[in-house]
Amino acid sequence: MKQVTIGFLILIAIAQPLRAEQPQDIILSHALQAKQDNAAFLGFDGMRGEQFFKSQHNGGDWSCASCHTDNPAAAGLHTVTKKEIEPMAPSVNPARFTNTSKVEKWFKRNCKDVLNRECTAQEKGDVITYLVSLNR
Amino acid sequence: MFSIKVWDLPTRFFHWLLVLSFAGAFLTAESERNRDLHVLLGYTVLGLIVFRLLWGFIGSRYARFSSFVCSPKVVVLYLCQLIQKQAQHPVGHNPAGAVVIVLLLLLGLGSGLSGWAVYEDIGADWLTEWHELISNAMLVVVCIHITGVVVSSYLQGENLITAMVTGKKPGHVNQAIASNVTSLAWLLLAVVIGLWIWAWPASKDLNWLLHTLSWQ
Repeated sequence: MKQVTIGFLILIAIAQPLRAEQPQDIILSHALQAKQDNAAFLGFDGMRGEQFFKSQHNGGDWSCASCHTDNPAAAGLHTVTKKEIEPMAPSVNPARFTNTSKVEKWFKRNCKDVLNRECTAQEKGDVITYLVSLNR
Repeated sequence: MFSIKVWDLPTRFFHWLLVLSFAGAFLTAESERNRDLHVLLGYTVLGLIVFRLLWGFIGSRYARFSSFVCSPKVVVLYLCQLIQKQAQHPVGHNPAGAVVIVLLLLLGLGSGLSGWAVYEDIGADWLTEWHELISNAMLVVVCIHITGVVVSSYLQGENLITAMVTGKKPGHVNQAIASNVTSLAWLLLAVVIGLWIWAWPASKDLNWLLHTLSWQ
């Protein structure tokens, strides 16, 4: 009986990564939030996400690209600490956008640095759509 | 009763340097812009605590763990006596304060080590969560420590905060520590300030400081 229980637990542990969220799940949850924020929500746009990613906002001196570079399929470099940042595009780095709480934590932290405010669901959804659309 | 030396200079320098480093690390935690400074202050916290752990074994009388670490039974007894206003106030740390100090040292160690692991990308995502949890717990214990010091100061009729500045408390002459260990204290201060000068991030120059101060 004990072996069966242990075997079962190991199976659950192995199956755990299979249950991980996909970028599409995270885009969908942002779409639901965006719809709630704005009844006229028309979906996400990767082009708009790219523009958002590469521009400065609210008179700030940073864009997302300041650290992640203009090519999110390549590794970035932290402007302050000069440490490497793994690529943002899931095509290159499949671990990206597979954990909602991690995604939200970093959006919250980094949006404050770049925009001096938190990002809207529309902005986040656009950016993720852009990053997901990038090929290797 | 005389005014006698209780806290040696290294213990006091450690205390106030820890206050500065921990407060600074907390204030620079929320932004990637200050990540460099946050890491430097976090490493300072870690180094200071390692020093204090050693000092707890080889330091002067009241700085030693053997003089204040006590069993939970003694702590509960002390708190009961405190409520009944029958507590004897030791010259060094009282049993309730001792618990808080041990907690602060452990949490500071955990916060510093987990922060280091996060910065070096050693651990998984849960390490980040733990780093935040431990650091927030430490802030809570800091608040308990400050409250305890204020309450004890009132109950004992002596200012325990200035005691951590001057090192002096009321007591009998034979309770005083033999030496202030001044030279080691200045060495500690020199090492910390030396580290800050040597490793201070280039992005945090005088302009940054003036900007930060005027902005807040």
